[in-house]
Amino acid sequence: MTAIRFGRRGLLGSALAAPFIGRASAQGGDPYVVGTLFPLSGPNAEYGGVFTAGAQLALEHIEQDRMLKRPVRLQAEDTQALPQQAVVGMNKLVNVDRANWTLVGFTAVSKAVAPIGDRAKVIMVNGGAVGPDLSGLSPYFWNVIPLAHLETRALLPYLVGQRGAKRIALVYVDDPLGDAILGILRDELPKAGGQLVGSFSVPRTAQQFGPVAARVRQVRPDAVYIASFGAQQSQIIKGLRDNGVSQLLCSYSAMNLDSVRSLPEANGLIFTGQKVDFEGGDAITRRFAADFRKANGKEPTIYNVNYYNATRLFGLLGQQVEAEGGQLGGDSLRAALLKTRKFPLVGGTGEFDDAGNMMAAIEVNELRDGRLNRLAG
Amino acid sequence: MDAMLVLQLLLGGLQTGAIYALTAAGFALIFGTTRVFHVAHGATFTLAGYVFVFAWNAGWHPALGVLAAVAVAVLFGIGMERFVYRPIQRHEGSFFTVFVAAFGVSIVVQNLVGMVAGRGFANVDTTLSRAVEVLPEVFLAQVFWVAIGVAVVLFVALTAFLSRTHAGVALRALAQNPDLIRAYGLSSSRLSVLTFALGSALAAPAAILMAMTTGLNEAVGNHVMLLSMAATMVGGVGSLRGAAVAGVLLGVAESLVLLVLDTQWAEAASFLVLFGFILFRPTGLFGVVAAR
Repeated sequence: MTAIRFGRRGLLGSALAAPFIGRASAQGGDPYVVGTLFPLSGPNAEYGGVFTAGAQLALEHIEQDRMLKRPVRLQAEDTQALPQQAVVGMNKLVNVDRANWTLVGFTAVSKAVAPIGDRAKVIMVNGGAVGPDLSGLSPYFWNVIPLAHLETRALLPYLVGQRGAKRIALVYVDDPLGDAILGILRDELPKAGGQLVGSFSVPRTAQQFGPVAARVRQVRPDAVYIASFGAQQSQIIKGLRDNGVSQLLCSYSAMNLDSVRSLPEANGLIFTGQKVDFEGGDAITRRFAADFRKANGKEPTIYNVNYYNATRLFGLLGQQVEAEGGQLGGDSLRAALLKTRKFPLVGGTGEFDDAGNMMAAIEVNELRDGRLNRLAG
Repeated sequence: MDAMLVLQLLLGGLQTGAIYALTAAGFALIFGTTRVFHVAHGATFTLAGYVFVFAWNAGWHPALGVLAAVAVAVLFGIGMERFVYRPIQRHEGSFFTVFVAAFGVSIVVQNLVGMVAGRGFANVDTTLSRAVEVLPEVFLAQVFWVAIGVAVVLFVALTAFLSRTHAGVALRALAQNPDLIRAYGLSSSRLSVLTFALGSALAAPAAILMAMTTGLNEAVGNHVMLLSMAATMVGGVGSLRGAAVAGVLLGVAESLVLLVLDTQWAEAASFLVLFGFILFRPTGLFGVVAAR
């Protein structure tokens, strides 16, 4: 008889796997796969870390609450926030990992992977991208974040009405998100009593904003709207402030990053975001906030919430499908969503429309000394 | 055309150009002397910039921060020469192998910087970069004079070193004929180390200036590397003076193009200049026509 021999590598592997064996056998079966398509490297990698932290906490809670009959495995693919890498990652998640559920972010990435998920009938949930055309992209593409047109509609009345900022200049990244915000401002500003006095497109890779600041100053705006993301939005803020643009700066929820909060030049920045009360909310919200602080040593942001909700939604819908004796696939999960519509999520009850968009209240915040102060909403 | 806008864009372009010139000169020195296509020069830039940001945030004296950034850049450059390029060249040393190895190291450095320093925006908060209105509609920050001054002083010093010292003359000889260097009893490997040390050191002030003006992220080296390569080609391969002038030219072009085109075209201007040179003056500004 051949004896089973363990080498050093075998022992090391066994030791690393040991903590997971008990849990897997308790829940049984092959794990469900939740795939993520986030930027984990490159200038937008900060978002990848923030998005993943929310999803990981939700997976821990799904496991603690034994919501599903099988364990869940997180499979991360690095998109660098670029469509090409995202398509490669999505194909791998769909064809190799057989993902049951995917989490996406960034408008260009979402639009690139949506046809793949649509063909394979894999649910894609967006908690970070805000391009308005992400609504109805596919029956299997859902949004747990209010899209840009909703954020901008909430901001403009405040800007024009309460801050008297009627002449708005836009600095926007040359991608689907930037183009979408340009379109919204062109349409919505006149309705709010304002005027788009200048729009300045910048490539995704642009680093120098001194010359852009000179052009912005020329149009004499009352406020400058910044539509970018990642490291670039901090560079734009610094570039404008360092080069003589002293007017009010405003933006959307992408500004809710540690690197922006800690930037001295961002003091006074106004931006929109979802309304969530971490302290006075329901039990789910309070549990999320407490466990997040414990795990990460800092306050959660809206992106943490969104990807927690996007992952928790998988647990809730999966539980429903399993209880009905079904298999977890795009069609069964979508049917469950349309049947139930309202779900207990962080921030309160999340209600979805026919296109898979979650409705959410929006607030206008001001960044002051690294902290957010609610101004309206 | 608004004269003040022209002046503003010109001044901004000169500041950016000084940073590009320093980086490009380092790359050109290494490539011109050793013929190693040092793609990891961008990683040197990233490392030096982050070391300075770290030192600044830790409350070190700025001079110590500069020294630390230069030291890390030099050590990284020498490390690349000794432990990456030389082993490759000892065996087959094809351009492609060197390129892939350097590119791989750049990706590793990028990810390590992200892991250690965080995957976000990093900058140095200093009043040097805050512009004030010096003329109607013309804003200028103190860092403008720092950038111009540092670039000029370093080029004068480097030119003097290359033309007036034995080591400098030997470096120029290495660029022209490595075999002859050995025939005269000089060590081409030691000269190669010196080249990498000097070229990498030039990236440090550029990275520090970038940390002050536009800020850094872990991927900043890729962008800088592209511009350095473009400047080396526009200046004429092998010409240090050419790379420096081309760096300034690209920075100014990037800025002045906004007078006639949309802001979106700023970066493309550098590469339009490059295409123009490739088509109409392939040897670059100070390049030499090679006989076949």
